[in-house]
Amino acid sequence: MNTIKDWAYRNLKGDPVIWFIVFLLSMLSILVVYSSTGSLAYKRMGGDTEYYLFKHSALVLLSLLAMWIAHKIDYRYYSKLSLVALWLSVPLLLFTWQFGTNINEASRWITIPLINQAFQPSDLAKLALVVTLASMLSRRQKSIADFKKAIIPMLVWIGIICALIAMTNISTAVLLFGTCMLMLFIGRVPMKYLAMLALIGVVAGSAALALGQRAGTALSRIEHFIDSDEVPFQAKQAYIAVATGGLTGKGPGQSDQRNYLPHPYSDFVFAIVLEEYGMFGGLLVLSLYLALLYRGMKAAAQSDRAYGGLLSAGLSFALVMQAMVNMGVAVGLGPITGLPLPLISMGGTSQLFTGLALGIILSVSRGEIDDIGSQVTNSYSKERVKEAA
Amino acid sequence: MSIKKAILLRVRIAFMLVFLFSAGILFRIVTIQYVEGEKWKGYAESMGLQVMKVNATRGNIYADDGSLLATSLPFYRLAFDPYLPADELYNPHIDSLCYLLSSYFDDASPMQYRRKIDRARRGRRRYLILNRQEVGYQDKKRMERWPIFREGRLTGGIIFEKVEKRFLPFSHLGYRTIGTVNSDNRGVVGLEYSFNRQLAGENGEALYQRMAGGGWKPVYDGSEVRPKDGYDIQTTINVNLQDVTESALLKHLQKHRADYGVAVLMEVKTGEIKAISNLSRNSKGEYYERYNYAVGSQGAREPGSTFKLASMIALMEDSNIGLNDTVDTGDGVMKFFNETMRDHKPGGYGVLTVKEVFEKSSNIGTAKLITKHFGDNPSRYTDYLKSIGLDKPLGFQMVGEGLPYIKDPTDSTWSGISLPWISHGYELKMTPLQTLTLYNAVANGGKMIQPLIVKAVKKANKNIERYEPKVLNPKICSKETLRKVRLMLEGVVERGTASNIHNEKYKIAGKTGTAKKVENGRYTNAYYTSFAGYFPADKPQYSCIVVIDEPKGYQIYGSDVAAPVFKEIADKIYALETKLHEELPEQRDQYAGIFPLIRSGKHDELKMIANELGISNHSDTEATWVTTDVVNHSVFWENNEPRTERIPDVRGMTLRDALFVLENMGLKVSVEGRGRVATQSLLPGTRFARGTSIKIDLS
Repeated sequence: MNTIKDWAYRNLKGDPVIWFIVFLLSMLSILVVYSSTGSLAYKRMGGDTEYYLFKHSALVLLSLLAMWIAHKIDYRYYSKLSLVALWLSVPLLLFTWQFGTNINEASRWITIPLINQAFQPSDLAKLALVVTLASMLSRRQKSIADFKKAIIPMLVWIGIICALIAMTNISTAVLLFGTCMLMLFIGRVPMKYLAMLALIGVVAGSAALALGQRAGTALSRIEHFIDSDEVPFQAKQAYIAVATGGLTGKGPGQSDQRNYLPHPYSDFVFAIVLEEYGMFGGLLVLSLYLALLYRGMKAAAQSDRAYGGLLSAGLSFALVMQAMVNMGVAVGLGPITGLPLPLISMGGTSQLFTGLALGIILSVSRGEIDDIGSQVTNSYSKERVKEAA
Repeated sequence: MSIKKAILLRVRIAFMLVFLFSAGILFRIVTIQYVEGEKWKGYAESMGLQVMKVNATRGNIYADDGSLLATSLPFYRLAFDPYLPADELYNPHIDSLCYLLSSYFDDASPMQYRRKIDRARRGRRRYLILNRQEVGYQDKKRMERWPIFREGRLTGGIIFEKVEKRFLPFSHLGYRTIGTVNSDNRGVVGLEYSFNRQLAGENGEALYQRMAGGGWKPVYDGSEVRPKDGYDIQTTINVNLQDVTESALLKHLQKHRADYGVAVLMEVKTGEIKAISNLSRNSKGEYYERYNYAVGSQGAREPGSTFKLASMIALMEDSNIGLNDTVDTGDGVMKFFNETMRDHKPGGYGVLTVKEVFEKSSNIGTAKLITKHFGDNPSRYTDYLKSIGLDKPLGFQMVGEGLPYIKDPTDSTWSGISLPWISHGYELKMTPLQTLTLYNAVANGGKMIQPLIVKAVKKANKNIERYEPKVLNPKICSKETLRKVRLMLEGVVERGTASNIHNEKYKIAGKTGTAKKVENGRYTNAYYTSFAGYFPADKPQYSCIVVIDEPKGYQIYGSDVAAPVFKEIADKIYALETKLHEELPEQRDQYAGIFPLIRSGKHDELKMIANELGISNHSDTEATWVTTDVVNHSVFWENNEPRTERIPDVRGMTLRDALFVLENMGLKVSVEGRGRVATQSLLPGTRFARGTSIKIDLS
């Protein structure tokens, strides 16, 4: 036991609570995904039910590795990296929109040659946008009320990326847009500009509906949600899962609804959690996410740079808000979306990006690494120095 | 307030919002579990969801010209919900319905149907299969108009259950080769079995929900696995040749009341099997396709004299024996150790040349030649057989190929009489297809080709997989040996055992075979007759083998039984395929050697001819029609495009071009003479009305 502790102490830097939460959720993820991919494995893999277990476990390990690598890097590096990633993601998103691989009637994936793995450029764009936004916000803290210099560049980026994602995936775009709004709010952007951004969001949203592939789905899902007399098939199956789960659940691997719920291993994984582990299990998952958010916030409080704080807060909110939306959908708190539950759903490459985001939060939480001689441009102290000058 | 504090405050506000949302989630969980709990739990029980199989459509099997040999058609099984129709509907119409049922299925009286349905109705049964016989789509439409039934599923209680059935448009034609499928739509024999993987496709799966009142509706929830329809396969079978082959074989089988017969027709150059027929006799004396003797292991037998071809090849490869060298076959009886070998002719053939040994099919002559040459080293002989490739299976596309058996002196059953007996086709096993492949190799200049029956696996018109002819052995023997054995094979038909099938029109080359059958280890007086060969002998197009097993009656030899089938097939193919006919010589020579004078015609064609012949030519026009002019030493093309409503200039054109141009303009053309257009009755460039007649003189 002590050796593990020692090893962890030596190798896992940063907030140990975040590490603990991630390990816990990863373990739950493997359990739930194994249970819920049974019928998928039966259909697609000719009954090789371990196929998805191994695949998913490997991805969980890989995302932990991504997280470990990301947390070793000083978070100030991500500022530059993210801008490159953001520029890169524009052509990728355009390419995906026009030529992407079609899965479930939306071309959100491009297949990476050689390793033949489907990859969603929107995952990359999302991460890059949040990190870039944190850096832009922190650099403009002094002149945050200057619309032309401070606000416009951010709005342009938010608009472009969200609009491009909305072409193929409206719910991700809306969520990202909401996250960006929240970040701007946290980054002290005046309320009147936020209202303006909301307006841009509506315009961009309707443009995406007109041009994109997903307008029909989005509208019908929202209609279904508002017109609550008619509960759609998926939601019905999810409610049955929740209702039959009870307080303590049917037990691991005992779900019945996994056979009827579409995508029980991703979009509706929370319903399966509630069915197998009951309300207690659900509550545990819920509080783990809240705790994660809280610890991310704490890292923000401890960071002595605006950049670090905004970065940690932005990434934690992006992750936990998606989790909340996913769980909300499963219990009927919002229209049906195709968003996976971060850290739990089986989600291919998007798991790696979640790991990356968590790694960056951890990197903020461990503070600056001394031996990096990077130019400090945006620390609170420096700002004060400038002020004095 | 410092920047940091302001940011942290805002972070906390945001956190509170998220916290509130999660409280909302918890609230919903509690609501679903406690407030709506009963509703959802009850719904779970009544839901009736089931994952069901969605069948993939099985692919088609096509003949070489694209005609359908096998396809899947929907058929229906007629069932009925006898309890559903109300009395007002049921009572007045049930008698007429039963009458129609009885007259359609013709297996029970109207009264019997009435009793059956009435009983089920009284027993409140909701499902009764009226008849197991499947009905076609047209009949189904007719039944939908019958009384009671015409009220539909929900009032009349009619239930049609769809079943996919294999349908063979040419019914019995190549039945066993095409094969059959079982009730699960899996191929069990023939091509259906061998290519089941490609034909079957992959069944899908989808979630279905039970509807009120029975029946299932699919729930499109995005999790369904769509069925992948099967691929089509394109065979090499030619429907006409298959028909010719099958009817010829059947006719002779009936004549000889034989046990079974095989006929395989192969294209020499490609190894493509154009026809394959296997007919066996059932207890009633009727012939039908039961087993693929041509390919399968039950067809692997002692071939008898057709194997002498292989022996001769081995002999000639190993020695420079001439066709006119002689061997004494004596009085037709010869003892090898304690076994006696006999020749077909009582009293024996006496002294024969090597050629005559083969043509008259002397067993003793063959055995003597082989034992004399290979006696001290029999493995040299068997090595020759192996180097040709006779001991190896062909790797044929159909599953279950019979393995050839050729032993060598290391075999425990090898004895002193093995060499002479193998030399004329005993103590070994080969399938008819394997024998045919050897004869085809001889016809194909020594190149042994793997027989091919499936050319391509297709999806719509796209090839998924193509099968090319595969060379098994590029050269089975030397050119000299090949020349000799081909001469001998032709001799068999010209003056040997198969002279009864000799004809003047085209030459057949081949060899008869008559093997005694073994029963309980003894040779009996039942025979296995065959004829293998190719035609036309000087330019082989097709090779063919005919095997007839156990002919009854006085005719028992390959020459009398199997060879006539071969001839009938060859005759009909010769009549069908004009390309086999020799051209009449004088038509061809008339214009040979005369260079055509290019005067006028179609631009691109003329240019191509001139380029092809190396004549320098130029043009400054893009016109379709041109006339020629000579500039220095080259041809110059000049515009000769017909103008609207003006008589075109067709002088110098060929008749074909002139007719095309003139008739396209709407002129009526009369023609005289032959050659190219010399004069035309109307002057070029003058106006004319549609339908005007023009006369052109050719010379």
